[in-house]
Amino acid sequence: MFSKAVSCGSLWDFAVTESVAENQRWILSAMQKYGPQLATMLWRILGNEQDVCDAYQDTFLQVAHCEGGRKPEYVRAYIFRVANNVAISMLRRRIAERKRLSGTNTTRKAVNSPWQELDSKYLQETLRDSVAQLPDHLRNVITLRDLAGLSYSQVGGILGISAATARVYRCKAIQLLALWMDKEE
Amino acid sequence: MMKSIATNNRCRQIRAWLGAAISRRFGPEADWLQNHLSGCPRCQRRFAAYGKVNLALSLMKSQPHRLDLLMRANQQAVGVLKHSLRQAPKAQKLAATMPEPKLLERWCKYGHSTANLAACLAILFLMKVGVFSSMNEFQTQGHRVVRQYYTNQVGEELADEIFAQNTQQSPSANSRGPFTA
Repeated sequence: MFSKAVSCGSLWDFAVTESVAENQRWILSAMQKYGPQLATMLWRILGNEQDVCDAYQDTFLQVAHCEGGRKPEYVRAYIFRVANNVAISMLRRRIAERKRLSGTNTTRKAVNSPWQELDSKYLQETLRDSVAQLPDHLRNVITLRDLAGLSYSQVGGILGISAATARVYRCKAIQLLALWMDKEE
Repeated sequence: MMKSIATNNRCRQIRAWLGAAISRRFGPEADWLQNHLSGCPRCQRRFAAYGKVNLALSLMKSQPHRLDLLMRANQQAVGVLKHSLRQAPKAQKLAATMPEPKLLERWCKYGHSTANLAACLAILFLMKVGVFSSMNEFQTQGHRVVRQYYTNQVGEELADEIFAQNTQQSPSANSRGPFTA
């Protein structure tokens, strides 16, 4: 009697797990469809392969657990926004860690030199630091438009704004970035 | 319906021209801007800062990564999904995915060859059309000359008779000339 109950229970568990897995198959489709673009965006934001893999994993883990694994209405928008947030959080952590290790920001200013300004790694790191400081609405447009390579209409669709607003936000973001990068000197 | 499509196309064209005109007038290469920049250190500094942002963005975009990055990212992401999802054939496929160039990029390298082939075909077609139309012209001219000759030699009535018979015959017989009649 007891063994029958146990076997029924395990069968039920198996059936439930299988149905959940069936419901979550869209994650694999989304990974297949948006994976390459997402990996490119994360690589451009983070610039470190291990960080890219971690952010990619975190993104799909969060997507898999959103609303009990149910498929969101706008999959692309959801995935890109989650990936964007994960990447920026990582970037901020990294910046904080770097600052903590190197003491204060003054040491960095001391090593600035004209040739260093043209150094690609230095430029990229400076831009990454500045992008991480941007307000959310401007940063999202910059990352989706310039780093993920999406069109303004796609960016607008993901962020729930019009393409024209996305253009204005990008313009403002570039202005701010230019100002901050100029001050870095 | 057709009218609205035409209006939309016109709008699109004008938008493109407008963009080009504005970038000529207000773009970084505009004369008035360059003139101002040459005498204003503050704007020079701002302009350089914009250039720096654009350069840094371009560098970020062009930074290469290892080819297997997507594969490794997929493997890591699939590894934390539910067991049944991990075992799905799609997941196995994803774990071995390498980035592939887009269809347009893949066909881009054949662009020049395709254009050359199309140009060759167009030239051949035009040559063929030209040769055939010239041949027809020569044939008609020849007919006229021969008919004129017969008219002069044997008289118009006889020539008419010969050439009328000739035109009634088949084109292959016609090509053999009036003496075969």
